Amino acid sequence: MPELTYREAVRDALSRALREDEDVFLMGEDIAEMGGSMAVTQGLLDEFGPKRIRNTPISEMAIVGSGIGAAIQGMRPVVEIMYEDFLTLSMEQLVNQAAKHRSMSGGQVKVPLTIRTQGGAGWSPGAQHAQQLESWFVHVPGLKVVFASTPEDVRGLLWSAIYDDNPVVFFEHRTLYPLKGEVPDELEPIPLGKARVHREGKDVTVVATGRLVHDALSAAEQAEKDGISVEVVDPRTLLPLDEETIIASVKKTNRCVTAHEAVVRGGFGAELAAVIQHAAFDWLDAPIERVGSRFAPLPFAPVMEQYVVPQVEDVLDAIKRTVARA
Amino acid sequence: MATEIKLPRLGQGMEAGTIVRWLKSEGDEVAKGEPLFELDTDKVTQEVEADAEGVLLKIVVPEGEANVGATVAVIGAADEDVSGLLAGAQGGNGDSAAPAAEASAEEARASEEPPTEDGGAQDVPPSTQASSEAETPSNSVLEGEEAAGSETASAPTRVEGERIKASPLARRIARERGLDLAALSGTGPDGRIIAEDVEQAGDGAAPVAAATASAAPEADAEFEAVELTSVRRTIARRLTAAWAAPVFQLSVTADASELATTRERMVGLLREGETKPTVNDVLTRLVASALQRHPAVNALFVDGAIHRYRRANVGMAVATPNGLVVPVIQAADQKSVLEIAAVRADLVSRAREGKLKMTDLEEGTFTISNLGMYDIEQFIAVLNPPQVAILAVGSIEDRPAVVDGNLGIRPTLTMTLTCDHRAIDGSEGAEFLRTVKTLVESPALAL
Repeated sequence: MPELTYREAVRDALSRALREDEDVFLMGEDIAEMGGSMAVTQGLLDEFGPKRIRNTPISEMAIVGSGIGAAIQGMRPVVEIMYEDFLTLSMEQLVNQAAKHRSMSGGQVKVPLTIRTQGGAGWSPGAQHAQQLESWFVHVPGLKVVFASTPEDVRGLLWSAIYDDNPVVFFEHRTLYPLKGEVPDELEPIPLGKARVHREGKDVTVVATGRLVHDALSAAEQAEKDGISVEVVDPRTLLPLDEETIIASVKKTNRCVTAHEAVVRGGFGAELAAVIQHAAFDWLDAPIERVGSRFAPLPFAPVMEQYVVPQVEDVLDAIKRTVARA
Repeated sequence: MATEIKLPRLGQGMEAGTIVRWLKSEGDEVAKGEPLFELDTDKVTQEVEADAEGVLLKIVVPEGEANVGATVAVIGAADEDVSGLLAGAQGGNGDSAAPAAEASAEEARASEEPPTEDGGAQDVPPSTQASSEAETPSNSVLEGEEAAGSETASAPTRVEGERIKASPLARRIARERGLDLAALSGTGPDGRIIAEDVEQAGDGAAPVAAATASAAPEADAEFEAVELTSVRRTIARRLTAAWAAPVFQLSVTADASELATTRERMVGLLREGETKPTVNDVLTRLVASALQRHPAVNALFVDGAIHRYRRANVGMAVATPNGLVVPVIQAADQKSVLEIAAVRADLVSRAREGKLKMTDLEEGTFTISNLGMYDIEQFIAVLNPPQVAILAVGSIEDRPAVVDGNLGIRPTLTMTLTCDHRAIDGSEGAEFLRTVKTLVESPALAL
């Protein structure tokens, strides 16, 4: 199997869709000649030309709005929002338009739009270029929300997002772009709404997203040395959520930790905890632990950033709390 | 303030129980959690602990049957007048089920605080005079030795009325096994009772032996005293009771070649995921068929009456680390051998893990005890009351046999039926056994 970086895997999914399907095109800030600020779309202008790889003005509202218009007209646009922090500028289009058209038109209008974006700390980006806002969109009926954590997943999920007839907000993590991983020779679409069990275990389930999937896997290895068997599950799609896989896992392990880089308060872990406690109440042997960032704007100073953002040790501590004895 | 002690529900479907004996007398001081009386249900005999402390003022039901929820005793302060309470409570007694009396018992219940999941540990308001003693750890011990067997080996030290911290999983397991959380110590954070604490309390035996051994100071004692676990006590009591039945035994030896061949062919046809049937599984099915044809043997002897059953619910004696248990294969006459094998495999594995439920042990109408795997050729089983018969099955061995007038070697099987003569006559037992022999020798006839 070939090995791709997470960045190359995103690019591969985009290239294949562009190559195979005239209806697919890209829009975003500096995505053409510059190849995007994260170099994801590098080289695509040469192959597909300026009509299909389109630079836009610096207006997120316009980017998403025009994407919606093209989608309604039958195209399958993929728009890029340079930093997910800037999604805030496109909220009207996303929340009030893209998410609503299909339902309000009685199904006559579809919005097959993919909104790619990225974020995440770990490189001193400061408070306005590293937020993790995925849970905002999980709150909006009419949207789908994806957060992929590996090269294989990001490629297969992006393909499914492009070919989904609903608007999909597709989150990538800044620090995962250089991550290498094996991918199948041929692109295998990964259905939206299917979680992935990365590691099986019997004592505690860590439901992790984005970068924290990898931290959870590291924590699981360390925990194993202490005799704690950890299962790691990545929902991959946050909306719709694969409750079945997650619940089955927690019913097996009787303990659960949720882990994401976003702040704990009101984060996606809260939704997970609520779903799990309701469906698996009689199976829980310990309170569900939530791991996430401290509730503060991200500091610029590296030591402070590291303090605010969850690390492997934070996941490990949470794992140990679930199996703790007095 | 006096507290009425109600007959507890120990398992699903339990409507009534029989008080075997009181472990306290009227006038005795009783600590919360102290064993109060022995309660016999269909399947288990269990000590029931006091869920209040004070003086045992009145035993309402000295011995015999009472309905779940009926007031069986009153605990309160030494000189308390409980006549008013008793006037209402007496009627709730199971035996006199007059509607008015039931109603008053209902009212008495309704006037209480709502029951808590914690087995009534919060029933006592914090303002009772007992609160002065609240700091004293109660002698609360479930089944005596079980709490001692838990890791902490200490009785719970909760203040009266304090919420019992227990994980949802621990609560569910306790509920399913009829265990009272109030009697357990938690090893989780903040003393929370977690699943493992409940499971250990349920097991009893293994940790108990260890505790007993370490408690014995004289290492050079000539014997090791092993206290009886509750399972062991139940075995002892019920099998002693069985001795009261006038029993007789009948033995028969059958040619087991067809039985063995049939089983082998079934194994040959096995599909993936199916449980491999044992000889005993096939035998269980054949015995169930025989029981259908001889309802006199498929019966219970209860209160001087014989209850004959339509369904053959066949119990099988299973040795576990904690002692003998007899889980039941329900309606074995309606099941295929493969179905029986699947049920058997599940029951045996759970029996060995100590995870059987009350319902797994209930409603048996007949028992098979098989010691063939130990190369026991034949033996006599003790009756499993109130069942009226039990079949003891030995090993299948190649033995000399007369075949068509010549001496040959055949695999044979010797089975011994123990019958309760109050319910079964010799001829009835013999006819049943003859059918079993016929079916063992020609299993197809069970179709």
